[in-house]
Amino acid sequence: MHGRLACRLIKELTTGEKGQLNPFNAKLLNEVAKECSENFLVLQSLISKMQEEGLDFQTTRNADHYGALINHLSLIRNKRCLMAYVYNRAEMIQNLAWTVGLRLFELPEDIQEKLSHSEKEYFKRHSAALESYMSKVDLDLNVDMVPPKDPYIKVRVLDDVGEGIVVSDKAANFARHSMHFLKRTDAELYISRGLMEELTG
Amino acid sequence: MATDFGEGSTAEANEYETLMSTTDVQLLKTAWRNEKAAPEILQFQVQLVKRATEQIQLMEETVEEFEESGMDPLTVSLYQMDLDRAQFLLRSYLRIRLQKVEKYMFYIRKNDNLRNRLSEPERVFVNRCIDDMEKHLGDTVLSKLPDNYQSARRQSIISEEDDMVPEPQLETFVACKSSNRFVSLRLVDSERPLEMERHDVSFVLYKVIEEKVGVDIDLV
Repeated sequence: MHGRLACRLIKELTTGEKGQLNPFNAKLLNEVAKECSENFLVLQSLISKMQEEGLDFQTTRNADHYGALINHLSLIRNKRCLMAYVYNRAEMIQNLAWTVGLRLFELPEDIQEKLSHSEKEYFKRHSAALESYMSKVDLDLNVDMVPPKDPYIKVRVLDDVGEGIVVSDKAANFARHSMHFLKRTDAELYISRGLMEELTG
Repeated sequence: MATDFGEGSTAEANEYETLMSTTDVQLLKTAWRNEKAAPEILQFQVQLVKRATEQIQLMEETVEEFEESGMDPLTVSLYQMDLDRAQFLLRSYLRIRLQKVEKYMFYIRKNDNLRNRLSEPERVFVNRCIDDMEKHLGDTVLSKLPDNYQSARRQSIISEEDDMVPEPQLETFVACKSSNRFVSLRLVDSERPLEMERHDVSFVLYKVIEEKVGVDIDLV
């Protein structure tokens, strides 16, 4: 049946948690693209059949005309589904650049595995565009995501961050599970990468 | 005497209020709120952003000096907090704009009126966004489709105009406030105009106040 596969592809966008990516379904995507090509072949053959019969495609309303129309509309519907699938995923990828990090290696592995090759490329290019904007306005827009309440926050280190990092000129030992009182702007970077968590209350 | 004094203090209070509402921080806050609540991208506030950036830099230097001169930590942290807030406003303002550009890139580029609202770096950004998105869509989907169906913005070659471009929803309700004086709005479905005094809050269709946002009306 026309368009059934494309519908399944779109459903993949909505299954799973909101805002969470599912693995890129290249197989299904290619099947839908193949259906598009088949639609196109039928469309073309119907048009040439009408031309051979000496009928004007613009004005004749016979079975072949409607057959061709159905194939055209089905192709467009499939195209819109394909585009919606890729475009909506691309929007989620843009979101990753804001919430997780601008570098591919900053993305957790389980997210990376869900991206197609082209999507990874897109992520890199889009991040580069963002970075170039930030360097032009000379402001890091990736920090300060929530309105500040207090200049200092309490954080717990979740992972072995290492001793090498320096926060506001002070080198502390950021061993796992240790707790610190840091400047919010300094800590945010590590919180967004999942290396620290903010302690509230 | 007593009445004189009373009037004087109201006038003074009004003056104070006007003065406060025209400080750059307040202006930035208003611009930020408008941008945050408006469904489409608004005019970039060139001068305001420039002034805010300069003032933030100045503040940063001041705070640093205070820290070095061993000033009372409480005082320093109060300054720091003020600085953080101003910085958040500026960053968030620019961020919201970029996210709108990301969302409506194709729509913004084909619409001269909207494109002219962007700052120079934003214009560069929108072009790069579109190039990257077109390449991605092209590689993943469009190159696999028949020739006549390869446009990213049109469904097929017979579409006469762009019919696959995501557009902002302008027919949406927003809460707004008259910012300086009496404003009269002509609503679509009512014969009587909606009259708003200064500081009155109303809930109206964005389309109706579209052209007044940032001038007579601010969004809340």
